[in-house]
Amino acid sequence: MGETMISQVSIFVDNRPGSLWEVTQILGEEGINIRAVAAYDTPEFGILRMVVDQVASAKDVLTRRGFVVRITEVVGAELVDEKGSLGRMLEALAKGGVNVNYIYSFVIRGGKAPVMVFHTDDNEKACAILGEAKIRVVEAGEL
Amino acid sequence: MIWSKEETLPRGQMEQLQLGKLKESVRYIYDRVAPYRAKMDAAGVKPEDIRELSDLQKLPYTVKADFRDNYPMGMFAVAPGELVRFHASSGTTGKPTVVGYTRKDLDVWLDNVARIACMGGASKDDIAQISFGYGTFTGALGLHGGLERIGASVIPMSSGNSKKQMLFMQDIGTTLLVATPSYALHLGEEVREAGLDPEKDLKLRIGLFGGEGMTEPMRAEMQKIWGKGFFCTQNYGMSELCGPGVSGECEALTGMHVNEDWFIPEIIDPATGQVLPEGQSGELVITCLGKEALPLMRYRTGDLTKLDYAPCPCGRTTVRMANLFGRADDMLVIRGVNVFPTQIEEVLLGVPEIGPHYHITVERIEYLDMMTIAVELIDDRLLDSYGQLDELEKRIQKRMHDVLGLATKIKLVAPHSLQRFEGKAKRVTDLRKDGL
Repeated sequence: MGETMISQVSIFVDNRPGSLWEVTQILGEEGINIRAVAAYDTPEFGILRMVVDQVASAKDVLTRRGFVVRITEVVGAELVDEKGSLGRMLEALAKGGVNVNYIYSFVIRGGKAPVMVFHTDDNEKACAILGEAKIRVVEAGEL
Repeated sequence: MIWSKEETLPRGQMEQLQLGKLKESVRYIYDRVAPYRAKMDAAGVKPEDIRELSDLQKLPYTVKADFRDNYPMGMFAVAPGELVRFHASSGTTGKPTVVGYTRKDLDVWLDNVARIACMGGASKDDIAQISFGYGTFTGALGLHGGLERIGASVIPMSSGNSKKQMLFMQDIGTTLLVATPSYALHLGEEVREAGLDPEKDLKLRIGLFGGEGMTEPMRAEMQKIWGKGFFCTQNYGMSELCGPGVSGECEALTGMHVNEDWFIPEIIDPATGQVLPEGQSGELVITCLGKEALPLMRYRTGDLTKLDYAPCPCGRTTVRMANLFGRADDMLVIRGVNVFPTQIEEVLLGVPEIGPHYHITVERIEYLDMMTIAVELIDDRLLDSYGQLDELEKRIQKRMHDVLGLATKIKLVAPHSLQRFEGKAKRVTDLRKDGL
């Protein structure tokens, strides 16, 4: 089941002007592409979560530049472009007793269907549930 | 009212009294306190070398670190059975500074506090609300005992719980408040917010403040908040010396009169240890006279002030020390509690998820001190959820509270974002201006 998971990069950032930009700049210099990004509104610091095309080098370069970086597995599920599609995903997970910790979506996918990124309390179970509900789980290699 | 005749002794008689007591105290400490005897031996001074007051300068200094090195009771001169009380204050690291009192020490202490209370205008008719935190802190029980001694009635209120403070002020008719000056301002603000006019609705007329310095802008603010009829003084002391009762302002407000028959003050250059001439500013050094449990010779207080021997309109002849200018070391006074950055450092070193660098910011918000400690997160495992970061902040806060006895705010920042220093680090930003 492991290979169906997507590796997400989490970065601790201070809440000050330019702190997110700094991260994107460093990744840009290394030629690393950001596929999905999420950060939440907190008063003093934030966890910037991203899906990138070169996970290991992203962690490596950011760590060298003094960031605290964490790689976590998340689930990517393809959205079908029709009403209630996201709702169906969430319904399936809810009924299966899986708690969604956070969710965000891809920013680029080159014409392909949009992908939602989930982090849950049980990612393997989430993949199984989504599969049963005929929701396509995206594999890391497809990104 | 002047409580003791010693407060008005002519200079010559005071010096005679001091010299007699000093000779006895030096002999006493040399015979009974091994760490200080070792210092005297190393300096080549014997008790019989003290023949006149100026011979005091031959004696070695005592410093805060002596308490840490001889923790908990190595500086004591009596067996535990002779003690009737312990108190404790902050140490420079995790261990507190423990002090003890014999029955005679307590008696002298409270008599000195009684003098301070009288200097500040208190009398037996006063109803005194003690809004210092009780516990091992000397401030609350010191003022408590001293005020009882002059016949005032005491409400052992402790700090915090403003609603109850106001209730007692209104219903019992408190006339005298004992607090840190910043808490007195905060409480006054709350009284006004509750719709009370202190001048009409309360009987409060006297403030006896300590635990932290009161600046003149704070005193002016005090009158704005508590009313024109409110008169407040500040007093000085520290637990190593006895607690409050070392010195206090009289009604003439010309500085804090030192109870010189029990405490000999000197001013030194904190960098060189040289004694400075009268009137110059430097670090206050105090020699305790006649103390039994914890005799102290030439204790370096770390507080910066100057001395004035000119006569005071109040009639007292005792020397006056100026309002403190600051500290010779990096000690902070937060809500009346002494805090050493080394204590904070020790707590942080015990938290593996953060790095060794930190920065302390102190501000005064609505007259109350708030300390924020910025620390660098280094453990990536906490990035799985905000809950883990939140738990880390709370855990550090709790440990700080256990060690400092104070609530602090912890701010997590990215690694390498705090300033690095070569040489002496500047880890504290104090934004309190004039104490307001």
